[in-house]
Amino acid sequence: MTALVDLRGLSKSYGGVHALADVSVSIDSGTVHALVGENGAGKSTLVKLLTGVIQPDEGELVVDGESQRIGDPQTAHRLGIVAMYQEPTVFPDLTVAENVFAGRHPRGPGRTVDWSRMRADAGRILEDLGVELAPGTPVRGLGVADRQLLEIAKALSSSARLLIMDEPTAALSPNEVENLFATVRKLRERGVAVVFISHRLEEVDAIADVVTVLRDGRHIATRPAAELSHGEIVRLMVGRSLDALFPKEEAEIGDVVLEVDGLRRRGVFSHVSFELRRGEIVGLAGFVGAGRSEVARAIFGIDRPDGGEIRIDGRRFRPRSPRAALRRGLAYLPEDRLQQGLVQPMSIAVNASLAVLPDLTPAGILQPWRERRLARRFIEQLRIKATSPAQAVRGLSGGNQQKVVLSKWLAAEPRILILDEPTHGVDVGTKADVHRTISHLAAQGLTILLISSELPEVLGMSDRVLVMREGRLVAELSRSEATQERVIEAAAGVQEAAA
Amino acid sequence: MRTVGQLAWKAVARWEMLLVLLILAAGVWSWTLSSFFLRRANLLDLATPYVFLGLLAFGLTFVVIAGEIDISVVSTMAVSAVCFAQLWDSGVNVWLAAAAALALATGLGLVNGVLIGVLDLPSLAVTLGTLAAYRGLAYVVLGGDAIAGFPTHFTNIGGGYISNELPIALLVMLAFAVALGLLLHATRFGRYLYVLGSNREAARFSGIPVMRTRVTVFALSGFMAGVAAVVYLGFFGSIQADAASGSELIDVVTAVVLGGVDIFGGSGSMLGVLLAFVLVAELRNGMQLANWSGATQDMVIGGLLVGAILAGNAVRAAQARGWRLGMAGRRWKEVHHAEGQEEVSVRATLKTPGGGSTR
Amino acid sequence: MNTRRFVSAQALAEAVVRLRELGIFVALAFTILFFSVRATNFMTADNWRDIATDVSMVVVVAVGQTMVVLTRNIDLSVGSIVGLTAYVSSNTLADHHGLPIVVTALIAMGIGALCGLGNGLLVAVGKIPAIIATLATLAIYRGVLFEVTHGQNVFASQLPQSFLDLAAKKPLGVPSLAWIAIGVALVGAALLRWAPWARDFYAVGSNPDAARLAGIPVARRVMTAFVISGALAGLGGFMFAARFASVDAVAGRGFELDVVTAVVIGGVNVFGGSGSVLGAVLGALLVTTIQDGFTLMRVDEFWKIFFNGAAIVVAVTVDALITKRVQEALRRRRRAELLTAHERAAET
Repeated sequence: MTALVDLRGLSKSYGGVHALADVSVSIDSGTVHALVGENGAGKSTLVKLLTGVIQPDEGELVVDGESQRIGDPQTAHRLGIVAMYQEPTVFPDLTVAENVFAGRHPRGPGRTVDWSRMRADAGRILEDLGVELAPGTPVRGLGVADRQLLEIAKALSSSARLLIMDEPTAALSPNEVENLFATVRKLRERGVAVVFISHRLEEVDAIADVVTVLRDGRHIATRPAAELSHGEIVRLMVGRSLDALFPKEEAEIGDVVLEVDGLRRRGVFSHVSFELRRGEIVGLAGFVGAGRSEVARAIFGIDRPDGGEIRIDGRRFRPRSPRAALRRGLAYLPEDRLQQGLVQPMSIAVNASLAVLPDLTPAGILQPWRERRLARRFIEQLRIKATSPAQAVRGLSGGNQQKVVLSKWLAAEPRILILDEPTHGVDVGTKADVHRTISHLAAQGLTILLISSELPEVLGMSDRVLVMREGRLVAELSRSEATQERVIEAAAGVQEAAA
Repeated sequence: MRTVGQLAWKAVARWEMLLVLLILAAGVWSWTLSSFFLRRANLLDLATPYVFLGLLAFGLTFVVIAGEIDISVVSTMAVSAVCFAQLWDSGVNVWLAAAAALALATGLGLVNGVLIGVLDLPSLAVTLGTLAAYRGLAYVVLGGDAIAGFPTHFTNIGGGYISNELPIALLVMLAFAVALGLLLHATRFGRYLYVLGSNREAARFSGIPVMRTRVTVFALSGFMAGVAAVVYLGFFGSIQADAASGSELIDVVTAVVLGGVDIFGGSGSMLGVLLAFVLVAELRNGMQLANWSGATQDMVIGGLLVGAILAGNAVRAAQARGWRLGMAGRRWKEVHHAEGQEEVSVRATLKTPGGGSTR
Repeated sequence: MNTRRFVSAQALAEAVVRLRELGIFVALAFTILFFSVRATNFMTADNWRDIATDVSMVVVVAVGQTMVVLTRNIDLSVGSIVGLTAYVSSNTLADHHGLPIVVTALIAMGIGALCGLGNGLLVAVGKIPAIIATLATLAIYRGVLFEVTHGQNVFASQLPQSFLDLAAKKPLGVPSLAWIAIGVALVGAALLRWAPWARDFYAVGSNPDAARLAGIPVARRVMTAFVISGALAGLGGFMFAARFASVDAVAGRGFELDVVTAVVIGGVNVFGGSGSVLGAVLGALLVTTIQDGFTLMRVDEFWKIFFNGAAIVVAVTVDALITKRVQEALRRRRRAELLTAHERAAET
């Protein structure tokens, strides 16, 4: 039987870093194919290749036995490849039925829109999928779960043959997850292939027929789900030797600097309590959606928490805005450096001085030479590869861009630095530089909260590792206790059976 | 190996150079229409009837660079001028009345600022409404009447000359161009505007006072409308409620866009707007010499506006393509964004009414 | 249990949508009540015929504007198009007395459609934000009008009697112009309900990216919307000429504001994606009635423009606040549901 979609030898790299290297996977119709791997293993790159958002450097995509060039999302759509993300793509102003049939309304006499047939057909599709949605419901009132089901119905009605679901259960309640799975099973019965990306291994158990594991951009294994235990999956996900241990300097760990007590944000995270001490590097691990960045954002004043307390040096701190947080000595390096960390068309000097501009501008007057001096200092300190402080950030490689973002925050001389995936998408050389800097900073008395999905990094750099799962802090491991397996198990909620 | 910075500078320099060339070309054309054109008196006086437009354009520049739009500036100027006239007519001292007018204009700008910056309403819809509301206020205050006869030492600002040749209005405009240019390019506030227009999220994350800056920029635009009112009153010597209700708004927007200010925010220079204003004034002057009707002139300016934006779009598209070709092997493209979409991604995700669904 | 909560969220959203149109209706009713008491001669047949004639032009053009705004754009050039086509209508009839009136109307619509095509090209192909593009064409089309008129008016005395009588005729007691408006409104509403390409306007305005992905030719739809807006503005111009006979080069100046006010008050969302012809009609009625009432009460006509602007600001503010409130309420309820579900699961 020919596979529906055959990925052969796909490779994709960005500026010398491989996001995917020689990956070959076959996806059959009528199967639920789980795709697992750590953050950064290459799953989203794979999805982007399938949906035409990006093109492979090497390899080919074979659909129905024919090699295809999927140049844009519309082409993928025509081939029957549809992707669903955590944020469902819907038309919020239209009804359910209209969403399902957008652009393809059933026609009645004189090629007019046949509303009753649209309602009936939509109703039938929804019923077949076991979805309890009335066709006339305005989508605006629907929650995420229902919107997801709506997207599935829409995909089905447009004859999708391969449905990719990227972490679909992240925002769902257990009940809704069950609903979703029932719908997925119906899809399977109808011969639709479903690629299901999730890090919740119990869900993989419940729904998947086949499991593909990716690690560091490479294909590790594809096996029937029945053959794999959770422990085995975890081992496949992380099974790498930890040879490059990072040069962590010895730092003197002092008093408690930051206390987080019962921090809570409705529906996002709750009961989060931990302490950070001077000179410590604390790693915060967990899968995407566990709530790590959200906790950081709440501490830094970007989002308002609903409950709990934060204390800096024992004094209560109410994070009202990033400016307020900055003034108290906090700094946050966001996960999405392009969207949130940098102003792309502007120079290194401008970006680096952004957070401390009030200090560099007596009476509000810009003094570009001070900005350039600041930039030069960090270019040297962090070994940023650039031609001059005036170079636009847009022209730098990812790693160097990240260093510029880091410079911005270091310029503010924070006492507590929260780094969110600081080496994400960064080349090896830069990674080492960043690590060296982090460790050096800690040795100088800074406190660092390192949010990272790269296990070697977390284990190599941290004095302690906190693990979050589903919005809660589920584990705290000391440096000696922490191993890759234990971290992933805590993050995935796996109870390790004996041996 | 050329850096991006150098390439970008080249692009900017090219635009202003282009404007200078156009100014010269328009000058040649005007001269062919009438040799009177090159007389010093004429050259100096060329922009005087339009100085109020230039001042409005300067104020609008700040707003557009910050990523917003303000089409109520002309109405703000009108109502401010009308209120001044009414106050003065009722016996208030001319300078007090002027100060009150300035305060009113700034206040009206502040209203825009609060609605847009604090309530986060779309700037297009709000300023479309205030465009009408402020104009309406002008009518309510003055009705169908006209007021004229302001004291000379007041009208001199907009209509007076030094030794019969040098228009004071020109000096006023240049002074503001320099002052505002410094404000835009040499202060922290100006820097914040560029960052806001480029990437509002990054601005917020970096601790920039986003709300305060947005409110302020509209207040500034309002203030400049007040200044423009003073000049307008001085030059025309009289005021009615329907003052400047014709092509003035188009001229102002054209000056800003033609000046190289990106309509989507994040880039532009005061020098460019000044040059573009000179060009627009020169063209109007020339078209007047050629005896083209007002409506035809408006058509030309409208066409210029459209052309400027199309040109801007084309240049940006070419730059993006050049990017990908030149930097292919060396750039990291963030895994989360599609190729070449980064620059537009932030804007594309911001839903703007009247801004179209074709971006 | 789940369905009950679900129903109330759904009901909330539905209610908000209906609320808007109901709200204008209530406002209209209240307005009529108010003026019937406070204004002399408000509730006379004559006055209502005046209102009907005034509102007709706004309604016709507002139907077109509705389609443009649905796609998340705006058309500020309609005033100039009305002026241009009004003049062309008058002028053509003045020179060709025998020309059937219907043909004249079609010519006006044709020219309007061309203007609309120009707008559509600038916005959909040129990728110029609609606000700027139509601000420019507002000037350009007005300029064309000036060129065409050579500064001369068309006088009533030059026009065929049949045309001059058009506005005065009252088939079945309703002014003929109002019949045109009713017809246009019905056709417009029918199109938006039953023509698949018109339904696409909603999708394009609601989520342009999703629309593209669903295979909808976004650029073509946007251009169609502008062409229709232009054509209807052309018809409005024809009606203008019929009503005022004498057309000069400033005809239609400022008319776009009346139209946009009617549309915005009528609940057509400036962000695109929602709104209806019924809403636009109600909005036009409300605006015109208030203005008429003010005139009868001898309130300064100068409040009219202020009122238009203030109405836009208020309508936009209210719409934005309501949308935000509804979304926040839904999100908060959602989060609460999630958390309790999670906590319950964690305890087991």
